[in-house]
Amino acid sequence: MRYRNSPLAFTFPQPPNAVGTTVPEQTDCLVVELARKMVETLGLDTTADLVDPAAPLIGAGLGIDSIDTLELVVMIEKDYGVKIDTRAAGVEAFASLNALAAYIRQRRSASSP
Amino acid sequence: MIPRPRVFVTGLGAICAGAGSVVELRRLLLAPKRSFQPPTVFSTAGASAALPVAQVSGFDVTLPDALPRTHRLALQAAQEALAAGPAPDAIVLGTTTGGILTTEFALQAGSTSPHAYRFHGLHTVAEHLATSLGVRGPVLTISTACSSAAVAISVAAALLRSGHARRVLAGGADSLCRLTFHGFRELQLVAPQGSAPLDAQRAGMTVGEGAGFLLLESAPNRRAIVAEILGTGMSCDAYHATSPHPEGTGAALAMRRALQDAGLDPSAIDYVNLHGTGTVDNDAAEARAIKQVFGSRLPALSSTKGLTGHALAAAGAIEAVVSIIAISDGLLPANTGMQVVDEKLELHPVREPTRAQVDSVLSNSFGFGGNNACLVLGKAPAEQASIEVGTSPPPTDLLPPLRVAGAACLTARGALAETWKALLAGESVAGFVPDAVFSKAAPAAFIRRLKRLPRLMLALAQTALHASGRTSPPDLLATGTAWGPLAETQDFLRKLFETGDQFSSPMDFIGSVHNAPAGQVALLLGAQAPNWTCSSGDRSFEQALLCVSLAMAEGAPSALVMAAEAHQAHLSPLFDPAAATGPLASDGGAALVLLPDDGAPGARVRWLGENGKGEDCGDGAAVALCTQLAARVPLDCYDAVALSVPAAMGADADRELLRLAEVLHPCPVLAYRDRLGQHASVSATATALAARAVLEGALPFGQAPIPLRRKRVLLLLLARHATAVEVFA
Repeated sequence: MRYRNSPLAFTFPQPPNAVGTTVPEQTDCLVVELARKMVETLGLDTTADLVDPAAPLIGAGLGIDSIDTLELVVMIEKDYGVKIDTRAAGVEAFASLNALAAYIRQRRSASSP
Repeated sequence: MIPRPRVFVTGLGAICAGAGSVVELRRLLLAPKRSFQPPTVFSTAGASAALPVAQVSGFDVTLPDALPRTHRLALQAAQEALAAGPAPDAIVLGTTTGGILTTEFALQAGSTSPHAYRFHGLHTVAEHLATSLGVRGPVLTISTACSSAAVAISVAAALLRSGHARRVLAGGADSLCRLTFHGFRELQLVAPQGSAPLDAQRAGMTVGEGAGFLLLESAPNRRAIVAEILGTGMSCDAYHATSPHPEGTGAALAMRRALQDAGLDPSAIDYVNLHGTGTVDNDAAEARAIKQVFGSRLPALSSTKGLTGHALAAAGAIEAVVSIIAISDGLLPANTGMQVVDEKLELHPVREPTRAQVDSVLSNSFGFGGNNACLVLGKAPAEQASIEVGTSPPPTDLLPPLRVAGAACLTARGALAETWKALLAGESVAGFVPDAVFSKAAPAAFIRRLKRLPRLMLALAQTALHASGRTSPPDLLATGTAWGPLAETQDFLRKLFETGDQFSSPMDFIGSVHNAPAGQVALLLGAQAPNWTCSSGDRSFEQALLCVSLAMAEGAPSALVMAAEAHQAHLSPLFDPAAATGPLASDGGAALVLLPDDGAPGARVRWLGENGKGEDCGDGAAVALCTQLAARVPLDCYDAVALSVPAAMGADADRELLRLAEVLHPCPVLAYRDRLGQHASVSATATALAARAVLEGALPFGQAPIPLRRKRVLLLLLARHATAVEVFA
């Protein structure tokens, strides 16, 4: 996976928000917010701007396991009013940060009048 | 070879959802009807309001000043088991909730009076029983999550075999509370329609409550015998904080150890009472473990948690009672709650209550932290069979001394070397352990979710093992902590209350369990050994040492014993007066690697005794204990007595101190908490330091070091239940 907290990041340092890096030009605010909350809630040994929004969240370099995902489930329901309460929903939502943002947006618009 | 002393069951007590007594439980097993409903002991909000629990009826008083629900459940079942007989010599009780239901109400009401929290401690349940029933001997509290009661029964059996008790009341008690209800809910382990163990559509457990007790005796009147404890087995998965090992490795190990302890072949088991919570993962792992142990010839088996709910720390005792009913009544209990069996599990549970001859039962209990405990129960010996009565050793025998192969401690001054140096210089080591001293105990990724207590424990375990020069994990792991992971408990409840009982943190729930730190230690060391957590107030360390000593007296080759407390700014001062002693308020603890006394050089440590205050004698417990010990150990053999005086003793301590000085005269008595600090596990620190002191020939617990010419120190705890430990070289 593309995990920017790699030795390469030190060999060729680049400002994380500079145009032309892996961060898309139009930064998705929800993705940025989720990355920050995730790193904070789970005490991950990285910083929010180093989390690749397209990379899988579970079973990859972040070291996120089942307890972490439950912690995220509670945070997402509390902060965004969106439930992730089936295995299938979990697979969809935790595919990546981008997927999680899309999942939240979709459920919120579906539930709003 | 002298046969091993046998352990008989002579009394039963049980209370759980749907049954207020053993007679009612028997009826319930014959005509299973479950009574799951949303909880009424606390209010619920939002979606969680519809979740069913297994609540005991008739215990609904929640007056602010009433005795907590756990204590009341425990007393009712304990009295039933004793059946108005004489007081037992000792109590071993498993609990995970203690008085937390009452604490939750007090915290939410913003109460800042320590009086409101006086029954919070896990140890207060067993101590309430001891006071109510007049028990003077050891009163132990085990907290290994859902295996607590089974572990308690196992420890009680070892205590009986050692000869240190003849009649022991053993079991467990837990009440419903918001911590467990919301904790399991947020872990998505609670079945919305109620637990359906082994069902293809099973969706989780049903959180329950209750109490169960067995009266155990080593030499009872034959007619009183209702069953026999044939064997016990424990293990630790050392795999994950909450998930069982997917192959059921740890569970299979505990079952095999129990069968081996009983000297039985798997084919001798007629019925298995499964742990069977009804969660997807538990049932799958347990099914694999069962097949590993029993192969293709499976005994009759069922889980009764679809009927009684999961009474957590009480479950192992309630199910031991169920197992004994199975034996005495010739009844295979049904796997209530299951509609369509999960074919993938390849188990064939008993569907309806079935009559059959049942001679031997295996009862499984598995808990968070990967703590597994299994019991093998057998029928009462036939009338004509001869029972070797009196094979238990005489009660005057001391437990064997153990050699200290490595030691570690953590104080405000740092590790053992720094602490020792400060004490030699006549300085105090009271205060809180600086984060930097212990925060690098394990890889950052391993400890990222862990708060203060597990980090302290990991550092202690690593350091003590390193000091011992041993690389293999210990064969036993015993941990003491009076107050458990308080930061996790506080964070969980604070978040829950802030969101109107809607949201908290699954991570904090997992971390809040008293045996969570010990589970982390096992995980880091890869230790699949039996893993005890004792939570017995100021004598938690001494009880961890007792558990280890009992097992090593029966041949266990090595042990890691440790105890620690982690100060939490909000909760500690509410729970323990020690935390409200200003500059003396402290935390930290110690760990010892122990080996049998093989004659190699080094310090020795030995558990000598525990004694509760007698109602009819004017002396305090410590004086009574010393008087009792004097008959077996010449008290003038000690160079010094190191005395722990908990702040909780208040003014009571002064009178007893005077009497103690008389009894121990001319041996100098050093009240070390003034120098080592006030916290419930400081006796572990004192023991680790004493182990160094007897080698160096000086004990630096006062203004000037006391020379140790005979190299012998007695460590006493002055409390309502006093303890004695000796350290010598």
